[in-house]
Amino acid sequence: MPGILDGIRVFDLTIAAVGPWASKLLGELGADVIKVEAPEGELSHVIPPPIKGTAVLYISANFNKRHIVLDLKQEGDRAIALKILEKSDVFIQNMRPGAVERLGLGYDVAAQLNPRLIYVAASAYGRTGPMAKEAGIDPNLQAFSGWCSITGQPGGQGEMFRHLAHLDINTSTMIVESVLQALLAREKTGKGQKIEIEMLAAALSLQTTRVAEYFATAEQPQPMGSAVTTTVPHQAFLCEDQKYIAVGVVREEQWPRFCQAVKLEDLRNDPRFVTNTKRVEHRAELIPLLEERFRTKPAAWWAIRLTKERVPNSRIMDFEALRYHPQAVQNGHIVDLETPHWGTLSVDGLPWRFSKTPAGPIRPGGLKGEHTEEVLRELGLSSRGRE
Amino acid sequence: MSGALAGYTVVDVTQGLCGPFASLRLGDAGAEVLKIEPPVGDVARGMGPPFVGDESAVFLSLNRNKKSLTLDVMHPEGRDVVRRLIAGADVFLEDLGPGEAEKWGLGYEDVQKINPKLVYCAISAFGEEGPLRDLPGAELVVQAMADYTNSLGRIGEPPVRLGSDVASLNTGIFASQAITAALFHRARTGEGQRVAVSLLGTLLHMRGIMWTAMSDPDDWYGFHLDHYTKPPDHGYKTKDGQVYFGLRRGNSEDWDRLLITLGMVETLNDPRFAGWGRDATSIGRYAAEVKPLWEQGFKEMTNEEVVRLIHEFNGDAVPFMDYPTLFAHPQVEALNIVQDIEHPTAGLFKTIGPVWRFAETKAEIHSPPPTLGQHTEEVLGRLGLTNEQIQHLRTQGIIR
Repeated sequence: MPGILDGIRVFDLTIAAVGPWASKLLGELGADVIKVEAPEGELSHVIPPPIKGTAVLYISANFNKRHIVLDLKQEGDRAIALKILEKSDVFIQNMRPGAVERLGLGYDVAAQLNPRLIYVAASAYGRTGPMAKEAGIDPNLQAFSGWCSITGQPGGQGEMFRHLAHLDINTSTMIVESVLQALLAREKTGKGQKIEIEMLAAALSLQTTRVAEYFATAEQPQPMGSAVTTTVPHQAFLCEDQKYIAVGVVREEQWPRFCQAVKLEDLRNDPRFVTNTKRVEHRAELIPLLEERFRTKPAAWWAIRLTKERVPNSRIMDFEALRYHPQAVQNGHIVDLETPHWGTLSVDGLPWRFSKTPAGPIRPGGLKGEHTEEVLRELGLSSRGRE
Repeated sequence: MSGALAGYTVVDVTQGLCGPFASLRLGDAGAEVLKIEPPVGDVARGMGPPFVGDESAVFLSLNRNKKSLTLDVMHPEGRDVVRRLIAGADVFLEDLGPGEAEKWGLGYEDVQKINPKLVYCAISAFGEEGPLRDLPGAELVVQAMADYTNSLGRIGEPPVRLGSDVASLNTGIFASQAITAALFHRARTGEGQRVAVSLLGTLLHMRGIMWTAMSDPDDWYGFHLDHYTKPPDHGYKTKDGQVYFGLRRGNSEDWDRLLITLGMVETLNDPRFAGWGRDATSIGRYAAEVKPLWEQGFKEMTNEEVVRLIHEFNGDAVPFMDYPTLFAHPQVEALNIVQDIEHPTAGLFKTIGPVWRFAETKAEIHSPPPTLGQHTEEVLGRLGLTNEQIQHLRTQGIIR
């Protein structure tokens, strides 16, 4: 069954995570994605660990694509790239200012050749300003964007998220939003356009609700461990068995149910705690009462009680617990993927469900240059004369 | 036309963080967003302190470019009004929970009959199937369930969450994608449909590299896996703060000069520092164990001096910023991402503006977050309700 982006071709000139994950999502929506790599291979290849010799990042960020190699330093391959551009609907690049123009693939040339092209120019910090030349590396964005300053133990230093891809993929998702909007607009106007996007802007957008606290108070929101400023109780509690349970009372109707679950019914109408605002204001009085109560029974007990009362809660879960948990399996959040080169892998599922035009199937990508001949032939481009 | 969604109407009954962030993005893209709130208001109006005037700072950050009308969806007459609004809309966005909208006659099967071309978006906490389908969600709860807290803090210490509301906000982005994709399909074929996203699905998707890395790695090493078990990373300590940096390949004379400048002469022959320090910095395999050596080198240097030095040697370096220093930084200014909004009662406040910069279909902030029910009369009047009908709804408590 054709996907939503059936007939849409994406030319992906990007490396590592930001660009590739964006075109992966477009591929999962049904686009024909062509990943163009330099002969020496892109950065992902050298980032460990590998699986059967191929870097995990390269495998993971490149589902639903075909892989071709072009040496854009050679005139012949630049000509081929322009021909592919002519036949593409979307072009994604994140090279430093000036670089893509030097390869002959700048926006002016591309738009002239293909007025319907949606041209994405992604950068790390922006094309102007003192940091325009700085590389867009996820941990560097974490440090600079204030992201670390709001995460950590209370009273401690801000810390880095050790899954070094979230801000990358966050940017990817916003690229995909903008491409989909541009495709929609093009249905009306018949025209493409240029879209610019920065990792730093995307990282700030993802912190909208926390930045709002700073703008309102002129004070830095402090690291609060598992808690947060604006909803209470919304944190992890230590239980009798030294295990933690994460709890979130985030709707007003959950508060009486929470009191019922932990058998502290007196708190329910306590004027200090009766609304979220009051609980935030009286956090220092409420939390010790709750901590004491949670310490009286093991986590499993509280999970039963809270779930029965429909109060958001979870144990702290890890890969082993998640991988074959019915919630992950039945919703396809994590799935098995058969691959020709790397065996069967556990991989991320599709992030959306469509009732009439299902996304996917998720297909493994390939090795560097695996589809060069096939793609060139299909596009009617000769590979004669290439090295 | 301005935004790509100019001319589209969204009926939005969501509350809190996730759904409203999705509809904010649709509104930034030019859609008209009709935000339906219960008479007591979106739960986010009570998320605070901090407040700006009487308005929650969080609520203000999530609800620009929308109109607010109050409607009690639990009341049959309230639901009738919702259905009438949906009949004239392009998108319906709900987060009532799997099966709930159906109970109230607002499920896709019901509303499709009155609007066959509708794009219907359902947001759930953990997914629409499975033993947890009926459990409501919360930001920390989803982070904990999705293995996220295991990449923070220290083993044996209390769990740490990401300060950013990623489960909620990243799901809002996937919802925005799904809705736009479905509208694209509709533009090509005339066909509407139902789309669904979930907070747990979002975080488990975004962590996909880890699932793959953990399923069959050639060896258990490399930054995807090592960082799972390493202690908290606060960057590289300097005299006045922290930095993060990485080096790129250069020539060996420069490399010697860098290490000598930093007083790190003994590392010149340290195999962990070979290859221009690729393995000794940033995400390199020896980076954590040799960090004390770098920090010794940076001890008498300020953040600014370290960043300048690394730049001199063709590397990348940034200081750890907090919000006060970040929002005073010239790069944020150059980005032009912070925008001012004038709110009728809360006054002037700052917010993060739209991220996508379209050459043609520009996204923009055109109206402030609404006060509760600010547009009830306007929207119901436009729907064709008479003053008497509106007054009746008010006396019944269905609208405020």
